[in-house]
Amino acid sequence: MIEKAIEINHLTKHYGKHRGVEDVSFSVEAGDIFGFLGPNGAGKSTTIRSMLGFLQYEGEIRILGMDARKDHERILREVGYMPSEAMFYPSMRVRDVIRLSAEVRGMDCKREAKMLCDRLRVDVDRKINELSLGNRKKVSIVCAMQHKPNLFIFDEPTSGLDPLMQNTFFELIAEYVKGGTTCMLSTHVLSEVKKYCNHVAIMKEGQLVSAGSVSELTHTSSKRVTGTIDGQQVDYLYTKDMNQLLEELHGKNVTDLNIMDPSIDEIFMGYYSKDADREGAMR
Amino acid sequence: MMVLLKHEWKQNVRNLLIWSLAVGAMGMLCICLYASMTEDMAELSESFSNMGAFSDAFGMSTLGIGTIAGYFATEVGVVHSLGSSMFAAIMASTILSKEEDGHTGEFLYALPVTRGKVITTKICSMVLSLVVFTTITTAFYILGFRIIDTWPDMELFAIFMLSQFLMNLEVMCICTMLSAFVKRNMIGAGLGIALLLYVYDLMGRVVPDAKEYLFIGPFGYANASEIFAKRDIPSAAYICGVCIMMMALVITYLKYTRKDLAS
Repeated sequence: MIEKAIEINHLTKHYGKHRGVEDVSFSVEAGDIFGFLGPNGAGKSTTIRSMLGFLQYEGEIRILGMDARKDHERILREVGYMPSEAMFYPSMRVRDVIRLSAEVRGMDCKREAKMLCDRLRVDVDRKINELSLGNRKKVSIVCAMQHKPNLFIFDEPTSGLDPLMQNTFFELIAEYVKGGTTCMLSTHVLSEVKKYCNHVAIMKEGQLVSAGSVSELTHTSSKRVTGTIDGQQVDYLYTKDMNQLLEELHGKNVTDLNIMDPSIDEIFMGYYSKDADREGAMR
Repeated sequence: MMVLLKHEWKQNVRNLLIWSLAVGAMGMLCICLYASMTEDMAELSESFSNMGAFSDAFGMSTLGIGTIAGYFATEVGVVHSLGSSMFAAIMASTILSKEEDGHTGEFLYALPVTRGKVITTKICSMVLSLVVFTTITTAFYILGFRIIDTWPDMELFAIFMLSQFLMNLEVMCICTMLSAFVKRNMIGAGLGIALLLYVYDLMGRVVPDAKEYLFIGPFGYANASEIFAKRDIPSAAYICGVCIMMMALVITYLKYTRKDLAS
């Protein structure tokens, strides 16, 4: 049994003079649901595309215990990948795309594909060029899941999906992960990470800002303070000791006061922000 | 491999039918016109063979246009050479780049197949397309000869069609190499290469000093008037053609298997 589904060591990728990713190292435990976060241009897609062999890179990547360079073809047999764009050959029918994806793997995935199409409400008779982004995403999910891979890699999987389908998608992930599949999902939607992921890595400007369990990374002593003090509405993030806050409020006319945990969005935005250091903005 | 070959074939088959039917039908129409032009041919043949550089360029100083062989070589030969090389160029110049241009690369290359195998499959599919193209156009030309019931030397006709097939393979290899280097479809550049090679051959036949270098271009060994006039094609032309093909394929594999794919 492999302990690490993904191991990335000192991954570096430059596009000419432009930075892609710089010395990125992290690992994903087998059976985990792993969130991959970061603003646009942070290097998430570069990391994923390096893992899948689309890009030449420096450093070492091991997927399911195999070397990503040497065992490229074997790795892809075990991986279900869903790209962010979900583009297919426009003149093909959905049925043919799904069949092609299975046949290249030399597998008969009809039963699994039918189950997935039923649950995701995919119309297999339609032509690809008639489909919206959301429907193309659903086809992409079927292609990524029908061969029951050991590792899912999803790049912004829920963009374009309606809330009902998003729910079905995460139900499917949960079922496959229960069966032993590992899932890595790159996303901008922070609530998805909080709700579905066990571990998370955060990228910023081509570098890994932080990696760890979601509960670790979202734990913070910072508090959001809102209320009316001396007749003025206040709303700010307080990062110092709470006793000091009470001292600061002493003698002031406090008519309304709320002290609460910051939202997950606020916490992750702290990691994203320019002045955030590598240890995290609000610790 | 067979699954991908079938897939690639399906992607190309519509273009293949359009081009082969168009070129074949045009060639057949030209052949059918031969009968109606026979009466004026003697006069035409005389004047066409005395047009200096123009006659040299189109082979009319070598072969009399009044015979079916001469007529086929100078009329249908040009139509077929240009049509088939343009088809080969269009098909090959987009064969690899279309995956990046159409953003389908992330689907195709996430399937468990190496890039080397994808290149091989695509090349096999193009070779198959050129075989079918040559077969369809040959059938049209034979139908044309049958309609007018006048036949050229069929052995020379077969040599001509096989030489054209070889020439199309060479254009295909050069344009496939172009396709490996670019991220966007460059049909214009592919067509430019085919036309440039054709013009190189035309110029070579007009400019006396350039004649010695004709063998470098693929049109050199596939020239209809040379073949139907039973002139010896220098073996250097074939060797050069095969070398260019091999070199283009090696460069294609080396470049494309190491290239960063655009998303």
